[in-house]
Amino acid sequence: MADLLSTQLLFAALVTGALYGLTALGLNLVYGTMRLLNIAHGEFVMLGAFAAFWAFTLADIPPLVALPFIVLLTAAAGLAIYRGLFRGLLRNPRLAERIESNSLLLFFGLSIVLQNVAAALFTATPRALPYLDSIIRIGDLGMATDRLATLIIAASVALAIVLFLRFNLLGLAIKALIQNREATQIVGIDVEKIQRTSFALGFGLAGLAGGLVSMLGQITPFMGFPYTITAFVVIILGGLGNLGGGLIAGLLLGILETYGVALTSTNYRSILIYGVFILILVIRPQGLLGGRRIAR
Amino acid sequence: MTGPRASSLAIYFAAAAAMALLPFLAGTYYLGVGLALLSWIALAQSWVLLSGMTGYISLGHAMFYGLGGYLTVLTWQQWPLWISLPAAGFAAAVAALLLGWPVLRVRGPYFVILTYGLAELMKFVVIDIEAKLGKFGRLLMGAPSLETLYWIMLALALVATLATYLVRRSRFGAGLRAIRENEEAAETLGVPVVRFKLFAFAASAFIPGIVGGTMALRTAYFEPFQAFNPVVSFTIVVMAMIGGSDDAPGPILGALLLVVLQELLWVNAPELYLIILGLALIGFVLFVPDGLHGRLSRKRHGSDGRSRERPREHPA
Repeated sequence: MADLLSTQLLFAALVTGALYGLTALGLNLVYGTMRLLNIAHGEFVMLGAFAAFWAFTLADIPPLVALPFIVLLTAAAGLAIYRGLFRGLLRNPRLAERIESNSLLLFFGLSIVLQNVAAALFTATPRALPYLDSIIRIGDLGMATDRLATLIIAASVALAIVLFLRFNLLGLAIKALIQNREATQIVGIDVEKIQRTSFALGFGLAGLAGGLVSMLGQITPFMGFPYTITAFVVIILGGLGNLGGGLIAGLLLGILETYGVALTSTNYRSILIYGVFILILVIRPQGLLGGRRIAR
Repeated sequence: MTGPRASSLAIYFAAAAAMALLPFLAGTYYLGVGLALLSWIALAQSWVLLSGMTGYISLGHAMFYGLGGYLTVLTWQQWPLWISLPAAGFAAAVAALLLGWPVLRVRGPYFVILTYGLAELMKFVVIDIEAKLGKFGRLLMGAPSLETLYWIMLALALVATLATYLVRRSRFGAGLRAIRENEEAAETLGVPVVRFKLFAFAASAFIPGIVGGTMALRTAYFEPFQAFNPVVSFTIVVMAMIGGSDDAPGPILGALLLVVLQELLWVNAPELYLIILGLALIGFVLFVPDGLHGRLSRKRHGSDGRSRERPREHPA
């Protein structure tokens, strides 16, 4: 069993937490602005990871260089999905009537399709990237370079997005839409444009997380769903639509998972995550940090 | 009123009779396919009982299926089948009652993800128990013959179909459907919302528990990853969506189509099968949201003013 007070463990918790925060931010943006829960979110993490893997394997492009392109790619995929599937859903009154269950089923179908297209194209064999494997030492603490890079990028991008939402006009419009749809429309904000932007941004962030994840662990077609679940746990912890709260919650879950696993064993990792998730939903569905209840 | 109802009853009887004749006509392969078809019909019908009627979409039916399988395996060769299989059903129903109390308080996306999460949690708990017991997959010796299992499954499919048919036409079913359209309004009108939802959840868990037990005997092998496979839950949902989830014929249609597809593709091209499954789900949600049966019965009733168009919900 690892020493609980070691800086090593703290570092691991921070890396995991920053990744969770970043993944959850994307999911939260789409949910907040459109009230659509993207169950396929983790599949875009998977696609981002594969994009990084192939860029590195086929063209020798390092993941850190490929990241911006991966973000653009997944954001474009998000836009295409918005246009192809959801604009129609939102406009057709018969479908929009039960938009919530219908959108879940659509995302669900999309997730099955993406997983299996990836499995058919790339096979289910787990892959890994030999990249930035050196270790930086500061005192007792040894940090793998790829993990350090992940922590820095994930944390700074997540913070940048939250600041963007606070100070930029478009960001404020997104925030307004999350808080009150009708009022946003009344003051003359183009709601559809904001939705489109948030959709693309949310998917792009999933791709970014995937590019980072590709450096750390195994890449498989079925790696995505656990990210959807953890992202969902995080945004429930932080409160749906509460983006800043989500970052704190991501960190919290990272710490909880890392220390929980250190105290027990890796076998309990899934039980821990799902257990926390179910407990929170049952005790406080509005989120630990979410003050006001957001009606469904 | 007798016209359409009598003819649909005749179709039910003909289908049931055909399935009952199968063991006398078909070889092992087709009997196996028949067994699979019946199991999916039973599963999809039980899903409709909860999710089709109330709109609480469960992505976790593999939980009850796996639980039933596990209990049957644990009691195998200690309890006779006629006790252990119903016990598996009751255990699944009791689990649903206990879980339902907290779980059914959330709805929409929360409920969907929560049911999925519960099924996964259950899977990992069983994996953990099995690892502690030092078991990595269990082989079942002396499992009953395919014919025996077929008769059990036929009975299950019939009971499940009858249950959907009767519930759909009962006060209970009307209450559940009212919950689907508008839960607050239903409660205001005096529908005992909590009790109805809980009962529907337990009822929809009972059959999958027994089906899971029977299918564990069919494979004569138990392994938690397989028994709690989320693909089971996915398949049920897609069947119900394709066929239509508002009445008994829907799940039968959906199961029939997907079992044919499964037989064609599952062994040789599982990815292709699942891709088609996903695309079918997307296509039906967008273009045939009532499912095949809903579409057909809408056509039959035509636009004579008594169509089954659902009342519009008020914009939230």
